[in-house]
Amino acid sequence: MGTLNVEGLSFRYPGSSDAALQDATLVVPDGGIFGLLGPNGAGKTTLISILAGQLRGAKGRIAAGGEALEAVRRSRPHFLGLVPQEYAFYPMLTCVENLRFFGGVQGLAGARLKERMEAVAAFARIEGVLKRRAGRLSGGLKRRLNLAIGLLGEPEVLLLDEPTVGVDPQSRAFLLDSIRSLARPGRTILYTSHYMEEVEAICDHVAIIDHGRVLLSGALAEVLRDSSGLLTLHLQTPLPEALAADWKGRYALTEDGAARYRLRVPGAAQVAQVIEAARAAGCEPLAVGYGRRNLEQLFMQLTRRSLRD
Amino acid sequence: MRALIALWEKEWLVLSRDVHGLAVLFLMPAAFIVVMSLALSDAFKGDPLRQVEFAVVSEDAQLADLFARSLAGDGFRAAPAPADEAAARESVRRAKPKLVLVVPRDFERALEAPPGQPGSPPGLTLLADPALPPTQLVAFQQRVLGAALGLRVSAMIRRAGIPADTGAFDLQQAAKLDVQVVGSTGRPSSVQQNVPAWLIFGMFFVVMPISALFIVERRDGTLARLASLQVPFSMLLLGKVAPFFVINLGQTVLMLLAGKTLVPWFGGEALALPARWDLVAAVAACTSLAAIGWGLAVAVCARTLEQATVIGGVGNILAAAIGGIMVPRFVMPEAMQTLADVSPMAWALDGFHAVMLRQGGAADIALPCLKLIALAFALFAAALWVHHSRRVLSPVQ
Repeated sequence: MGTLNVEGLSFRYPGSSDAALQDATLVVPDGGIFGLLGPNGAGKTTLISILAGQLRGAKGRIAAGGEALEAVRRSRPHFLGLVPQEYAFYPMLTCVENLRFFGGVQGLAGARLKERMEAVAAFARIEGVLKRRAGRLSGGLKRRLNLAIGLLGEPEVLLLDEPTVGVDPQSRAFLLDSIRSLARPGRTILYTSHYMEEVEAICDHVAIIDHGRVLLSGALAEVLRDSSGLLTLHLQTPLPEALAADWKGRYALTEDGAARYRLRVPGAAQVAQVIEAARAAGCEPLAVGYGRRNLEQLFMQLTRRSLRD
Repeated sequence: MRALIALWEKEWLVLSRDVHGLAVLFLMPAAFIVVMSLALSDAFKGDPLRQVEFAVVSEDAQLADLFARSLAGDGFRAAPAPADEAAARESVRRAKPKLVLVVPRDFERALEAPPGQPGSPPGLTLLADPALPPTQLVAFQQRVLGAALGLRVSAMIRRAGIPADTGAFDLQQAAKLDVQVVGSTGRPSSVQQNVPAWLIFGMFFVVMPISALFIVERRDGTLARLASLQVPFSMLLLGKVAPFFVINLGQTVLMLLAGKTLVPWFGGEALALPARWDLVAAVAACTSLAAIGWGLAVAVCARTLEQATVIGGVGNILAAAIGGIMVPRFVMPEAMQTLADVSPMAWALDGFHAVMLRQGGAADIALPCLKLIALAFALFAAALWVHHSRRVLSPVQ
């Protein structure tokens, strides 16, 4: 499908004084999972809704493979699929009736419709509940049906808006594995979530968005790479005072309490020396971090810690 | 076309899962038809005064009997006379009977007085229940004056020396009057008024299921998903037309059958089925399109189920009250009858009456049908316009 380019996208809801999106620019590479992170009200769903064609009147340009997204979608109706946050299906219909309807409105019919229904049901592992009313399914099964409907048209761009909200750990693990298996050359997944560990686990690229602005965007490894030389240590017992005083001078050691420390260590070789020295002092390391930032810390640092709701 | 068929199929499935909502669309008009046809059966009969009782108070029993015989009939029934005028006033205050004619002592003498002489014309007093409809009071007044005129003419003839029976100049005997209702197999009955009226009311109530499902679709994000699948909004609206059109036609057939079988089963008069079913179907189809257009416009404009219920429900009740559904137009004052013309339910009722009461042809239903179709298109266009003027198609964070 080529790269999805969002350039200078701005949008304001009618009657609102604040812009939901302000000059947002993103480059979503082809064939991977792109994580879109942001606090509540940051503009994630607005961006997804604009891409899906649910919101009109946005300023800016959206292109897929160099061609305007609207034109691409006109020529390839199944180009883009959406799995919304809501259970966007009919609870009074059975799963199979929902699949048949959403396939039918996309122009699928006959053997092709049957084939696609079977494929997505198998993918989402809902074959056993196809004749059950959708409204009577568990939260996890509803999420899986929601995902299955989004896959009926075999979209090249799949927009997943918080697809694991409200499910148990088993269903979440299943959904994440399934979503990871969907990414391949020619199919791009744009994924929004509040769960940092999810994004860290499955996304190749991320963007952090807040107050309608893109604060950071890039490959996950690059975004999380930390070249500042920060070493975090969590030890079984606190450092002896003499060693701590020594490291304050040599490594700018700061104590976070409860035998947790931060040090500035210029190279990986010295990291090994520091750990060895701690062990020699009788302080067994419980956790060590170096060269990679934590996505949650980065997120909190960029978006501040204030509550948004 | 495949998408439209999928939308129709979905709408049917959703409706079939809401048996109670569907039942209301059929049971409500049927119940109204039976209840109102029975309740108003007397008011629509050729002799609406049949039940009104009257009495004549006179010292002259023979004269009282003469008056009573002249006034009885055509909906008036003689009741036992009170003892005197004071008793009569008390009786009328209790509406038993509703009318009492008080004949003064010197009435017979006054009958013989030549015109212009003192005591001429002779005086009579009519005591009336204030709850009596004015039209019934006026009708009884005319009967009293007619009877008095007969008595006076016979008295004057006798005075001229020509023998004449006091009952010879009964107004009923003046001429043989043949009343013919033109363009109908007979007089419109209560059931003929009420079946089309409440059928129309029931048809317009599709506004409820149409708007309810649409708002749930919008709230649950289903409409947004369909928009993301590039299903045109006009197609979404069209997807709702065919199923509700079939429901409206089903209502038409069942309500006509209710008028034919259910109302007589409860003791009312049976509906005379129309000769031209094609014209009934045409009026029903146009009414249905207007009703569905109304439903779609409410569905798109209302933001919550509560709004849809209030706009749709109150709108229907107002249109029914103005349009001669709840109160027949012919009993309305002239200004209200003119106002009734603004109600689409009145247009539909005109169309049904043209076929079912007046046995009219295609030309007779053309105007109401055109008005209903024009309204349907206008409402459909309004729904599209409101939708496209909104940039936000779904609730988003």
